[in-house]
Formats: sequence, C-alpha cells, structure tokens
Amino acid sequence: MRWPTAALAGAVIVAGAALAVVAARGEPSPRTLEGRVHAVASTLRCPVCQNLSVADSPSLLAQQMRSTIAKELQAGRSPDEIRGEFVAGYGEWILLAPPKRGIDLVAWLIPILLMAGGAAWAGLAVVRWTRGSVPAPIASNAATGPGLPPGDRVLLERAIRSVSDEEPE
Amino acid sequence: MDPRGPASHPSGLEATGRWTRRRKRWVVLAGTLGGVALLSVLLGFGLSRDPTLIRSPLLGRPAPDFSLRALDGTDSIRLSDLRGQVVVINFWASWCAECRVEHPVLAATWDRYREQGVVVLGIAFQDRPSASRAYLSELGGGWPQLSDPGERTALAYGVYGVPETFVVAPDGRVMFKQVGAVNYGALTDEIERLVATT
Repeated sequence: MRWPTAALAGAVIVAGAALAVVAARGEPSPRTLEGRVHAVASTLRCPVCQNLSVADSPSLLAQQMRSTIAKELQAGRSPDEIRGEFVAGYGEWILLAPPKRGIDLVAWLIPILLMAGGAAWAGLAVVRWTRGSVPAPIASNAATGPGLPPGDRVLLERAIRSVSDEEPE
Repeated sequence: MDPRGPASHPSGLEATGRWTRRRKRWVVLAGTLGGVALLSVLLGFGLSRDPTLIRSPLLGRPAPDFSLRALDGTDSIRLSDLRGQVVVINFWASWCAECRVEHPVLAATWDRYREQGVVVLGIAFQDRPSASRAYLSELGGGWPQLSDPGERTALAYGVYGVPETFVVAPDGRVMFKQVGAVNYGALTDEIERLVATT
C-alpha cells in the first residue's frame, strides 16, 4: 500500500470510529420532566396521524398521551414500562422503531451488513486501482519465480501476454 | 495454476479467462435480477396490505380494568365488578358521524340482550360532557354512559378513533373488536356465542 492510500485509509478508519462513538453514546439523557416526556413521546407513533410521533403531533390525543407519559414518569415508571403499556393497548405498531429482536432484527441488521459490505467492496476497489492495470500477481510471482525452466518461462510469458492483451476493457 | 505442470497452450488459457468472465457476468446478472424480483415481491406484499388494519393485541387478553364515573355524574362503574357477564364497551363521541350510524345497533343490542345479563357501556371519547349529554338526549339509549377524563381508558384500549367497540367475555378477556360503525350481525353473533358458554 502506497502512503497516500495508507493516509486515506487511516482517515476513513478514524472518521468511522468517531461516528461509531457518537452513535453509541446517543443523545444525552434529558434532565427536565419536559425533556424526559419528549424523549419517550418521540419514540411513540401518534395513533391518529400519518407517521408523526407523539412528540411532534399537535392532535388532542397526542397531547393526552404526553400528559399520561408525564404522570407516569412522575409516578416513577421507567420509559420502557410506559412504552410497554402503550404496546399492550396498541401493539408494537405504536413504536416508531422496531424492537431489536425476532424478525424485526432484520431491519436493524440489514443497514449494518450493507455498510460493512460496501466498505469491504470499496476497500477492495481501492487496492485494485492502486495496483494499476498490469495483472501484478501473475507478473511478479510466477514469471520471475525461481527455478522455472527457460522453455516454460517463454510459454508462460506468452500466455500472460495473451491474457493481459485482452484484459483492458 | 501450477507453473510446473504440463505447459498449457495459450489459447487454452485464453478460453478459460473468457469463460470465467462470462460466468461472472451471468452471476452478476442473475444476482441483480434475483434482487429486483425479491424487492418486487416484498413491495407487492406490502402494497396489497391495508396499513390501517392492525390487529388489536388485546384480543384474547384480559381487558384493561377501569372505574369510570357516569356522564350524569351519579355513580361510577368498575369493569371488574361485571365479571361473569358479557360486556360490550363502545367508545363514541358526539362529534362523530359514524357513531350516529351505529347508535341504533347498540340500542337494539341493549334491548335484546339486557335480560340475559349482557351489559353495554358507552365511553365518551374527547368530548365535552355537555355535548355528550345533548347527543344522548337527542338519540336516546338507556345503557350506562361513562366519561373518561384524560382518555386514560381509551389509551389503555388502544383506541385510534371513534367509534370502536369491544366485547369482553364473562372471564374478563377481550374477544371482539370492531373499528368503525359496529355491525349488528357480527356483534350479536359474538354475544350469542359468549352467552351460550356461560
């Protein structure tokens, strides 16, 4: 690997690690009651809207859900318990993000797998480009390899030439 | 490829290279077509389903208990006190047009089954008590009508909008739910079935 490539790869790894740290830490946990209500409400779907969270919806039902959440938080319930109560009435439909288990895990894993696959593909592509258009592994390993009889070497070089002649597309 | 093996003819090598490239192209083509086909099937499946129809998780489950004051302020009713009876719970509002449509169905059900111990309960949803009372004096209906401050009960039952009707079995489990104007045939079939088992 040449050194600009190494620098580029290093920068990508550092940026990726920084993103991962930020993503893993998530949002700081809110301290005020209003902030905690918002945190719970933003994970719930407003039942009378089209794809709006309870935190964002101005509808009367969403307002009442927010006041219910506030009362439950003040009563010492955890956000997960409160979400569980809404799930009991409305089903998992009420959650804006699918739970991280069962078949719903697919929705969480596919982006990660695609990201990993894309990164691997990009890495391979970079390695291939930096090697140039000559089929390096054959040229460097086989043709100059030690102990090859001169006759074989001629045959091999001719074969390599015929392959590399049709290689550029 | 073993460089020490029998010398391969250049044209043989060439053919092998061309063959692998052609195969690679087929693999890519088949992969792309397969991916598109899979996505189309998933998309078709998703589009053919009605996203507004969501099966209530309450069906077969114990009905959330409530103790609610009557609209006229007289007394309150606790659901768990009605254990052993079939209970029809109807969420409605005076501003709801479908509720007017289904009102005669509820009245007919109440008239036909109250002798057999079936209870119909109306719960007002996001309505001013004065408007609810005016609606009832206009349309009539002698079954108990309850007010639900803060919609706590409606939220526990997963109500999206009114009208919504639930049937609770004598053992306290939710056996039936209908969103929208309740159907007389479906409602009475369920009641008959539950009354027969008691």
